[in-house]
Amino acid sequence: MRLLLRVLAPLLALALAVVGLAIVVETVTLWVAPSSSPLLVPWPSWRTAAEALTWQSGAVRGTAIGVGVVGLLVLLLGLAARRHDVYLADPVPEVTVTTSPRSLARAVGHEVRSHEDVVSASVVASAKKITVKASTLDPAEEVRTAVRDRVEELLGRLPLARRPKVAVSVTTTKGVK
Amino acid sequence: MSRRSRAAVARPAGGDRTLTSVLGLVLVVAAVLALLVGAGVLGTFRAQRPVIDPLVVSWVAGHATAARWIALGVGVLLFVVGLWWTLRSLRPEPRPDVSLSEIPGERLTVEHSAICDAVRHDAETINGVSRARVRLVGSPQRPALRIALTLVEGTDVRDVWADLDGRVLARAREAFSVSALPTAVRLELDATSAPTPARVE
Repeated sequence: MRLLLRVLAPLLALALAVVGLAIVVETVTLWVAPSSSPLLVPWPSWRTAAEALTWQSGAVRGTAIGVGVVGLLVLLLGLAARRHDVYLADPVPEVTVTTSPRSLARAVGHEVRSHEDVVSASVVASAKKITVKASTLDPAEEVRTAVRDRVEELLGRLPLARRPKVAVSVTTTKGVK
Repeated sequence: MSRRSRAAVARPAGGDRTLTSVLGLVLVVAAVLALLVGAGVLGTFRAQRPVIDPLVVSWVAGHATAARWIALGVGVLLFVVGLWWTLRSLRPEPRPDVSLSEIPGERLTVEHSAICDAVRHDAETINGVSRARVRLVGSPQRPALRIALTLVEGTDVRDVWADLDGRVLARAREAFSVSALPTAVRLELDATSAPTPARVE
């Protein structure tokens, strides 16, 4: 989302500027040299086409829905493009320490996979919650407790600003040990 | 966590987000209004009127000069806002040189790259740090450090902190002769399994 905002924001801004410039150019042309109007944008033909339309026309409704959908996407992009940093407790007042959710998930993943009974594991992490899905060849419940203990121990070592909730699910897969 | 160190975590995107949200909101409101008018919420007669309303057309015909000035004003406003926003969001984040003394005749500034190289060298000597990236953000008068550290698997974050604050940042503060230097540290945990070999200069 952040990257999309970085790309789209200048494009939206440029579109605004272009629309503004077109309005200025057309207005000045109409004023100064009416014979050469329209200069760039064929607005008289748009006007002729729009004259037959009422607010109830399908074309007006369709355009409104299209504009509304685009507007909603743009609005959501603006609202959703926040940072997802995981904050660590500050060592000293003027220092802020962060890490990325991906990096936290990687650290948890290493810890979980280092357990000898875990065959495979996937981890999703955010500042609030860490979700671990692991599979094992042994009874799931024992491994689940062990994995949870490992993750809690890792979180104890990592000085996170707020301790995320940990959800561990372990499934037993078939195979030869 | 001070406000300035927190602001140094990443390039700010508040302006872009606000402007994008406002633009989206304007589009949504316009679309909803048009749909409401079409559905007859503002009167069934209103819904049957043409989109290019004869009342508006006659007003524009009667006040041609005023209408043109209004159109010009709207156009100039959109153009200026759009251009300002474009330049603002395309401008790279500044890399300030730091001014240590502003006294005339004794002006002293330190180049951005000199500071960053020094801090980076220091940071890469910390046990458990395989790579460091350093840059300054903010203004020359109020700079802040942004440090990204890539940590070796199994490194204790607390040890890295102690070293970073006690040695690296202490030296930077001493060099700038300030008591506090706002710093944002980004940690990449468990990124590599072994320290990278020393850089060949």
